[in-house]
Amino acid sequence: MSGDDDSSGWQLTESDPGVFSELLRTLGVPLVVDELWSMDPDGLAILQPISAFIFLFKYVAGSSDASGGAGGAFDPDFPGFFAHQTVNNACATLAVVNALGNIDTEMGKDIKDTLEFARELDPQSRGMVLVSSLFLREAHNALSPPSVISLDGLNLPKRTEDAYHFVVYLPVAGSLYELDGLKPHAVRHAPVPSSGDWTSIAAETIQARIATYPPGAIHFSLMAVRPDPLPMLQAQLVANPADEVLLARMAQEEEKRQRWAFENALRKANHLPLIHALVGALAKSGGLDAAVAGAKEKMRQRRARGQDMDED
Amino acid sequence: MSAPTVAFKAGRLFRRGDTNWVDPQPEKGVVLVTATEDGLIQWQWKNRTTNALDEDLLIFPSDTTFSQVAQSAWGRTYVLAFSSSDQKHFDASSARDDQIVHNVNGVLQDASFEPTWSTPAASSSSAAAAGSSRDDTLRRLREILTRGGSASAAGLTVEPPSVALSDVLTPANLAPIFADEALARSLFPFLPADLPSPPTPATLQQVVSSPQFQAAVRELDRALSTGLLADLVRGLGLPASAGESAEAFIRAVAEQAGSGGEERMDTD
Repeated sequence: MSGDDDSSGWQLTESDPGVFSELLRTLGVPLVVDELWSMDPDGLAILQPISAFIFLFKYVAGSSDASGGAGGAFDPDFPGFFAHQTVNNACATLAVVNALGNIDTEMGKDIKDTLEFARELDPQSRGMVLVSSLFLREAHNALSPPSVISLDGLNLPKRTEDAYHFVVYLPVAGSLYELDGLKPHAVRHAPVPSSGDWTSIAAETIQARIATYPPGAIHFSLMAVRPDPLPMLQAQLVANPADEVLLARMAQEEEKRQRWAFENALRKANHLPLIHALVGALAKSGGLDAAVAGAKEKMRQRRARGQDMDED
Repeated sequence: MSAPTVAFKAGRLFRRGDTNWVDPQPEKGVVLVTATEDGLIQWQWKNRTTNALDEDLLIFPSDTTFSQVAQSAWGRTYVLAFSSSDQKHFDASSARDDQIVHNVNGVLQDASFEPTWSTPAASSSSAAAAGSSRDDTLRRLREILTRGGSASAAGLTVEPPSVALSDVLTPANLAPIFADEALARSLFPFLPADLPSPPTPATLQQVVSSPQFQAAVRELDRALSTGLLADLVRGLGLPASAGESAEAFIRAVAEQAGSGGEERMDTD
């Protein structure tokens, strides 16, 4: 398609904990991702242990992009895994892989082999290896809607919604590091205790970063990457089947997984048959004429107000 | 610089991104069409409030034509169409249109053209004459655009959609269907295959209210507005004409539903 072709076959995906968690599952990694609503220690305590934070943000249209985000020092000798982002649409997956490259966890063979291979390379080459990985791209694309309607011949306007930018924070070799695929190197922040809580240092660093942006300049989200608690909860419940707290947490986790599974199913689905069936059902039930009349009126009013129905 | 050969008051309209929509701009301006010394044509738009030359193009003779494309609440709309590219400029003008068009095109064909202005015509030509010349232009524009091969060449929607599927398939409109057991059950096969739990009428409600489903409906609306979905709708057992617009799609599906094939609703 015109213009937008640095996508190299990577589709735009939603930045959602359910999407990330499903990606990790596909890669054979027993980690999950949760959205954070605050970074206060009590809130974080429930989620501990936490392996990494992902800070995602995008600039609100019109705000300048030069300020904010500085702090820490570039570390060209970063001992861990750091890859550059070379394809915009792949940014979420790239962040996940940058995190995985520095977390001690089980993982599937494909991602393990790729990381080992890429480890020997420089950040730019690592980035290219990753976006050229077929299995990785397929895992990534699996969570965006199927292109049912071939948009090429129709030249529909590309939904140029700016992708979120993803930055990973995690501890490596005694320091808090920031991995930003758009920066030339990993960025070293404060030292963290080798055993004990690195998350409070990360929380401070991230909060300080947020404070550098003018109010309203960015939309942002925080996520925590952590070992999947389900196996541990299940084991604990076997030992203490009546433990109220455990039961509550288990129920919470399962409800969350159900919701993620539902949303992911919707993401992957081709909705055209359902749309078709719904219009038909409206016709059969006798409600179609009224629905269409109402819809036409809405369109008329919109047009009278000078609005475009393409507005979301 | 020499005096303009043709000048007329006009506002501008900008195409919104790559869409088929143009938005009129509030600024009052004037289009100045001037012959340059080297036989080229200078097309300028001057903002009458700031006096700034906000547009300044150099055009080769015969490279462009100036035609009326639409009549609308904000005046008559013209497009300066480049035969050699997808570039289009839009102007809205409100007076002496036919003469303006004639004279502007004259200059655009040949920079040394001398415009002729008859005494100020009646403010609006007869409806019939205006109607037919507008239709001709619209048809011609459509031809140019289709020949160009891509809808992105279209700077103006000629037939905006009369109805949007996303306004028809609202949770409110669909609620009665979901409340009907038999009808709801008939829809379960169309739900995503890998839902975590077996579907219920509540599932239908959730799906239809979900951002993912609503985005899919909007996408279909956008695609239908191009009128080019004949192949896609055939796959649903619909006639090719169902791909021409949202309204045509809805009508065709209604006919398909009415013509039997599915169990009727009268199970009580």
